[in-house]
Amino acid sequence: MSYVAIKGGAEAIRRSKRFFQEELASAAGISEDALQHGLRFACDRVMGEGALYSEKLAAEAVRRSGGDLLEAAFYLRAHRSTCQRVGEAPILDSSTARILRRISAAFKDVEGGQILGPSCDYVIRLLKTMRRSGAQNAWPDAAQPIFVPSALNFLREANRVIRLDNTEKSPFDITRFSPLPPYPRSAVMQTMARGETGSLLAFAYTSMRGYGDVHPTIGDLRLATAPLYFTHPFTGKQVQIGEMRLTACETAGSFQRDRRDGKVRLSVGYGFCFGYNETKAIAMSILDLAMSHATFSVGKHNLAANPEMIIHHVDGIASMGFTNHFKLPHYVTFQADLQVFRQAEQHDQAK
Amino acid sequence: MIRPSEVLFGFLDEDAKKEIRRALLKAVALPGYIVPFASREMPIARGWGTGGLQVSLSIITEKDTLKVIDQGCDGSVNAVNIRDFISSVTGVPETEDTTKASIIQTRHRVPEHQLTEGQIIVYQVPYPEVLDSVEPDTARQKEMHANNDYAKLWVLLYEDTSQFGDSRMASGYPVAVNDHYVMDPSPIPKFDIAKLNNSQALHLFGAGREKRIYAIPPYTKVAPLTFNDRPFQVEQFPGKACERCGCRDVFLDEVHLDDGVHYFCSDTFHCDTVLNTRGEGHAA
Repeated sequence: MSYVAIKGGAEAIRRSKRFFQEELASAAGISEDALQHGLRFACDRVMGEGALYSEKLAAEAVRRSGGDLLEAAFYLRAHRSTCQRVGEAPILDSSTARILRRISAAFKDVEGGQILGPSCDYVIRLLKTMRRSGAQNAWPDAAQPIFVPSALNFLREANRVIRLDNTEKSPFDITRFSPLPPYPRSAVMQTMARGETGSLLAFAYTSMRGYGDVHPTIGDLRLATAPLYFTHPFTGKQVQIGEMRLTACETAGSFQRDRRDGKVRLSVGYGFCFGYNETKAIAMSILDLAMSHATFSVGKHNLAANPEMIIHHVDGIASMGFTNHFKLPHYVTFQADLQVFRQAEQHDQAK
Repeated sequence: MIRPSEVLFGFLDEDAKKEIRRALLKAVALPGYIVPFASREMPIARGWGTGGLQVSLSIITEKDTLKVIDQGCDGSVNAVNIRDFISSVTGVPETEDTTKASIIQTRHRVPEHQLTEGQIIVYQVPYPEVLDSVEPDTARQKEMHANNDYAKLWVLLYEDTSQFGDSRMASGYPVAVNDHYVMDPSPIPKFDIAKLNNSQALHLFGAGREKRIYAIPPYTKVAPLTFNDRPFQVEQFPGKACERCGCRDVFLDEVHLDDGVHYFCSDTFHCDTVLNTRGEGHAA
């Protein structure tokens, strides 16, 4: 009798876990260096979506999850819950960070120049041309550190860019409070910075074709390393506690009438994430543009301009977990569904 | 199970527990009202009971006895997993006995045994907001609750009833709590709704992914939304009884096997109790 089949779960779970670990056993042979540098975009994506800047832990998470990046990001998020909140670091300005790559699609030449840096943009994606090289794969810094302002800075300095009102005294912390509408911009931006790359991409894409009115131009896209400061608990002075690799993107939209004085100015969106993930930063800047400057719209079909749509649907840890929960038993609810279904059938027959 | 010394009691740090307890107090003070909370990421996935888990871990003490069920069953895989995790981070004793548990975490069922004073039942909730099916906008939902405006929900119930003879909401049927807030009782069958009304136990609801907590305090009126001329219909199993213990007045699992359809108790502890009682009766 199969009644007992739903019991004995403990042993089944134990064996299933062991089976899973055995299947991925060869991942133990991948060196930490190979993971951190050779698979850096995987690790960076995991750091961003896992909302924890740790190259070491991200590499370990990629290993443990067998390269399932959503799963790896989940490891970092769960680890995060065991860490105490220490406080707020001073604002990190991506326009003063040390540059590895900086491009602008808005101007042919910009202050500081176009710096291609390492990029796969112009790689011909043919597998047969792939060559293995034994060279070390860490990216060296430029001989001289490069610092350049955002390529849109001169427009901002000339007061030609819409400056959004900032009524927030300190940034909202979505890990300590659940944001309620109207959503503070910092809460929306944080949600996106931790958001799943594919989800942000899909929503941003809706606004580029068919369901939005965003015509973005990438003003400044950069891969950079920024120093991170923190207030020393005893001396009260600001000390550098480390460096952070980041991707930042400023995207220009259409000009609009500035609500403050009625003059026409350029709308700009901003995207940011841990590590190197250009697709995510660009998508986020487009979504910021769509939400912060939602004057032109295609009405209710403008999905990406609705913070309610974005804030609840871009978190990979939440959406992956919930989608997978449908694997759990639903015997009771389905049984209840069937009963109502049969009643409806009887109701139809009785007519 | 003994808790390893490097693990915090209850896994969560004290700040997180404090925040959740404050949300719980507010929820108890406003029966049926949805309280937002930060909701930490847990080592089990979102949608797998992280809300219920956080509530349980915030209220549990060394003196508690824990029961965890899924679909009414203590042995169901996710129930086992959650129970193992809670006891590994608290060291509290586990039980399958509904009457001996001080905290019962559940998914999709309310036990058949009547809950008593001092017991707390914690529900894992996928969709805390009852208005989601008729109004997705958070701000407007809040306004509708404040104004006791459930017109859209009534219209949905009416449309279903006129087309299909009854609401299509089979589980998680909307209930009015204390004659005010209408809430989603989590996906329990309609069969279990009556157990919420004027219950002696404290009912706590945690939605981890949606970051919401709500509650039904003991001895609170809970009534399903129904039309005056349409009696509330719960799941029925006419002519069927549990093939294991013979019970008729319980929620049954329908099991399809090679030799046809079979029925068994969904609440496995209740089924065991009936069998044991009968066994003792025979022995005497």
